[in-house]
Amino acid sequence: MTSGTTVFFVRCAVAASLFLIGTMTSLSAATGEPDAGAKVFKSECAECHTVRQGRNKKGPSLFGIVGRPSASLPDYNYSDALRQRHWTWTEDQLRTYISQPAKKADPGTKMKYDGLDDPKQVDDLISYLSTLH
Amino acid sequence: MPPLPIRPTTRAARWQPFVNRYVGYGATALLLLGSTSAHAVPAFARQTGSSCADCHAGAYGPALTPYGMKFKLNGYTDTDGNGLKIPVAAQLIGTHNVPARGQVSNDLTEADIYLAGRLTDHFGGFVKVETDNTGNDKFNTKLSNMDLRFVLKDLNVGEKDAVLGVSVNNSPGFEDPIADLPDASILGPPSTSGTLLNLSSTEALADRVIGTTVYGLYDSNWYGELGTYTSLPTSTQSDLGYSLSGDPGRLSDTGYARFAYMKDMKTQFFSGGVVALTTKRRRPRSAQADDITDLGYDATYQYLGDRDNIIQLSYSNIYERRRYGFTPPSPEFPGLLALPRGVVHDQTFTLTYTFKQSYGLVFAHLVSTGTHDAVRYVPYGDPNTTSNLITLFWTPFGKDDSFTTIANLKLAATWFRFSRFNGSSTNVFGVGPGALVTDAKDLNAFSFTASIAF
Repeated sequence: MTSGTTVFFVRCAVAASLFLIGTMTSLSAATGEPDAGAKVFKSECAECHTVRQGRNKKGPSLFGIVGRPSASLPDYNYSDALRQRHWTWTEDQLRTYISQPAKKADPGTKMKYDGLDDPKQVDDLISYLSTLH
Repeated sequence: MPPLPIRPTTRAARWQPFVNRYVGYGATALLLLGSTSAHAVPAFARQTGSSCADCHAGAYGPALTPYGMKFKLNGYTDTDGNGLKIPVAAQLIGTHNVPARGQVSNDLTEADIYLAGRLTDHFGGFVKVETDNTGNDKFNTKLSNMDLRFVLKDLNVGEKDAVLGVSVNNSPGFEDPIADLPDASILGPPSTSGTLLNLSSTEALADRVIGTTVYGLYDSNWYGELGTYTSLPTSTQSDLGYSLSGDPGRLSDTGYARFAYMKDMKTQFFSGGVVALTTKRRRPRSAQADDITDLGYDATYQYLGDRDNIIQLSYSNIYERRRYGFTPPSPEFPGLLALPRGVVHDQTFTLTYTFKQSYGLVFAHLVSTGTHDAVRYVPYGDPNTTSNLITLFWTPFGKDDSFTTIANLKLAATWFRFSRFNGSSTNVFGVGPGALVTDAKDLNAFSFTASIAF
């Protein structure tokens, strides 16, 4: 097998893996119910975040959060800790972040949140956030 | 109309007509106090980017959500980080008052200016300057509630979060985060006696004292507060807009303590706490000191859910023990002296249901009782009063999805009823044959109130 062929197969494998990961992630979010997630948002998030574009509270607007680079809203004053992360808020990243206390997920964060330990509610919430575009 | 003096002394018996007249006026004033007063501070919403409804279930104060409690605990300093906001807000209240007996009135009853918000990340405050319509379109301006704070947030004590703060305030209980004590909820049993911690009592300390308390919150659940107060000089009270007739007297050796456990579960909240106040009071200021101790407990529960249907329950029970410095004789019955000791007991139960943070129903049951004392309490020797407040309200704004998130209008219909006053349901002022008899229900009133805050 030539090196060019090897590179080709490796690229195909990587692409296939990414596709699978993306598909699984989508399936995971798809298991959530946006309507139920909207209720979770109201009880868990709405005091500090809005879903309106351009309006921040103590926390930044969550409009378009899924897929957004972390600390990227120009009119919000993020913590130094989050500015250093260079995350992208994929559904998995959101799931990891939301499922534990914020100060553990992102030491140095300004966010005060104890975490959401119900996987169904997490899925519902992410499913709802995914609709905000 | 501010509460007028109702001094349960032997001289009161001699001034029976005077007292009876003013007890009636005082009851009306207390009724208005309980039914129309509110705190609404859009300056806080502008500072934090929050909506009114984040801190108040019905998008209008004073009752707080757990989020509102945290904001208060943090010394009013939380912010959205987008620069300095002008810490000023205003409130106007108009009232259509329909008393069971007396004239129907339509008045601009109250105009308020709030200086409220953060100065730095550690200093914040709440100051309300209130102008009341005292009748015939005459207005009186006074310094109402004040709460200036220094706070250290985000502390770590034994691996747990902690907050430490200092509050300089003028109403013991007003600074309380849970906000179910009378001075914070602006609701206590109207009474011709009543405890020092009850702002609707003629004995109240509210707004006429100054004190400092040190408080702390540990692990988001355990709250403790210790402090001391002293009464303002009469000249200062006058300068701040208060008539000297309501002077709480000279206070000394005054201590205040408050401990509570609170648990915020996002969709539910509950708390349980105790409160204590002890002081030596000279009223009038040249009199011998009364030794007074308040001991109380309180409990609250909130079902918040997804905020579409919110239920808030609160109950406070404050017991006051009094050892009087003076036992005056009865002017009517020679040889009869006032009792050297007594107790007073104030209980407040409140149930509030709020739909979609906009429509609400408030029911309050207010009971004040005390030791029978034929000399101190005219005409029946009994200060017991039982009353209810029922309010329906609508607040169209102040939510994330409403026309404005940082201002609001509140339309409220309130029925305030008395089933017992001065220990009686009939002839509550004990007038003789031929005089106009006032029953407890004659003190009832219906009011329609429009409040705007911006």
